[in-house]
Amino acid sequence: MPETAFEPWNDPDAKPLIQFRNVTKQFGDFTAIDDLSIDIFEREFFALLGPSGCGKTTMMRMLAGFETPSAGMILLDGQDISPIPANKRSVNMMFQSYALFPHLSVYDNIAFGLKRDKLPKDKIDARVKEMLRLVQIEKFAQRKPEQISGGQRQRVALARALAKAPKLLLLDEPLSALDKKLRQDTQFELMDIQEKTGTTFVVVTHDQEEAMTVASRVAVMDHGKLKQVDTPERIYEAPNSTYVADFIGDVNIIEGHATAEGDTVSIAWAEGQPPIIGTPSKPMGDCKVSFAIRPEKVAIAAEKPQDRRNLVQGKVLDIAYLGNLSTYHVQLVNGTVIKAQASNTRRRASLPFTWGDEVWLSWTDTAGVVLES
Amino acid sequence: MRRLTWFNATSLTLGFAFLYIPMIVVIVYSFNESRLVTVWGGFSTKWYGELLQNEAFLDAAWVTFKVGFFSSIIATVLGTMGAYVLVRGGRFYGRTLFSGMIYAPLVMPEVITGLSLLLLFISIGLDRGMFTIILAHATFSMCYVSVVVSSRLVSFDRSVEEAALDLGCTPFEAFRLVTLPIIAPAVISGWLLALTLSLDDLVIASFVAGPSATTLPIKVFSSIRLGVSPEINALSTILIGIVTIGTIAASLTTKRAVARRQREEQMAEQSA
Repeated sequence: MPETAFEPWNDPDAKPLIQFRNVTKQFGDFTAIDDLSIDIFEREFFALLGPSGCGKTTMMRMLAGFETPSAGMILLDGQDISPIPANKRSVNMMFQSYALFPHLSVYDNIAFGLKRDKLPKDKIDARVKEMLRLVQIEKFAQRKPEQISGGQRQRVALARALAKAPKLLLLDEPLSALDKKLRQDTQFELMDIQEKTGTTFVVVTHDQEEAMTVASRVAVMDHGKLKQVDTPERIYEAPNSTYVADFIGDVNIIEGHATAEGDTVSIAWAEGQPPIIGTPSKPMGDCKVSFAIRPEKVAIAAEKPQDRRNLVQGKVLDIAYLGNLSTYHVQLVNGTVIKAQASNTRRRASLPFTWGDEVWLSWTDTAGVVLES
Repeated sequence: MRRLTWFNATSLTLGFAFLYIPMIVVIVYSFNESRLVTVWGGFSTKWYGELLQNEAFLDAAWVTFKVGFFSSIIATVLGTMGAYVLVRGGRFYGRTLFSGMIYAPLVMPEVITGLSLLLLFISIGLDRGMFTIILAHATFSMCYVSVVVSSRLVSFDRSVEEAALDLGCTPFEAFRLVTLPIIAPAVISGWLLALTLSLDDLVIASFVAGPSATTLPIKVFSSIRLGVSPEINALSTILIGIVTIGTIAASLTTKRAVARRQREEQMAEQSA
């Protein structure tokens, strides 16, 4: 079978597993979710990303059945789930605190949901063993949650939530309690498990790196609204607003006035500086714009480059050495600071630039994003 | 081991003397041969023998035990239910008022509680006896249970209960299979507290007790008014003994739990 890209959201015939239809959720006067509609497809690894208080946790709790929408409808497999209580939904959740039952062994924690379904004993046993194998914690089956480490608890929580083979698995900040190294390893394992089981995963996180790594699509949220729903690559390279551009990764944002010049626009942004030439995603007229460009798309050089249309000169103000990369904060003559990133490919060479050096920054016509503001 | 300075040693001696000399006097005189309480007439255990012959005391002890047993169970069930609703019931109308009201009986003078219960029992025509003592004790000790249990409920992670619902439990199953086992230590200590309170209550019991049922504290108090007998000393010594054994057992259990916890933490670290 030829590998086709997994993009059900681009297929008009695909039937979404979850549909939010104009969902609003209010707590008293506070609007947590504001008239939100979204489709999530089967087998997706979907990330809800946003700062705390943006409504992402509320969305997850509505899917799990711990909250009901104030208005609108949530459909699971085409069925309105609002009247179905949490314990009758084919949706399981992995809690941020893991919420393991402290009085039960690892084995009994995983078996807990299966026992509620009144399955025969041997079936439960087989399923629990399968889950223990899947998350590689067979050794600890008889231990209590207090007797295992944080990383192992995270696996138990995942196994327990997957044991009932739910249509949808919700993960609330699944890796936030782990240290950085373990978190990175676990991210890949999580993707692996998602692929193996074919379960639809919806993960809530405030960690943009985590969302970008694991998800097939990312929804960036702010104040109860969706800012952008797209693949990680599109979110990063083609953000649709300065909010998204700024929330994901590092970015330089330059405000200016655009004048159309064929396919490109010329952005006048400061007295005495040459205009920036950018390529908008769709034709635009003369208007105020924000030009967003990632630091790694800005080249830094001591000599004036010849082939670039966007060129500015400045002085190195600050250097952040990150090991694999260095970020240079370059101050232009008019005071604006632009960040440029260069990878440190050679080991023994001292850094090519130092504080106070005069440098040239340059980028291509298509390196940045032109956003109407 | 550090040695105590003379100042610390003196403070320690004085403090403990203050606490324990009265009890030591009772214990010593319980082994007095003489019938006169304050005159030492040689060592003897005869008063313990007499105590065991004294039907009135034995009856009172049996009543006290039964009252304590039943009232503490009623108080534990009601107190736990009350705590659960107040902590987990969400924000129903009047919740703050109710949570305040559950603490009020704790600071209410016992005389008032006793009197109001007495008036209630008279007005509904309930004959005073063991049953009314049980009701009265359950009434005032359930607030203690509820305080102990609600502090445990407040401190444990709500999402554990949500996880139980998420995995297919009905709300009642979630309570029975998850909440109750987790709060069990608090429920048990609430029950022990209610039992202790019931065993040594004098004031409320003397309001609601009838001629048919007398508890041990009432019996002791009324016989002291006729003069302290060496039998009372013997009884007191037995009670002190029971309390001491109970306290030592409790502290040993706690110590063992701490040791087990440390072992578990070590295991967790090694497995990481």
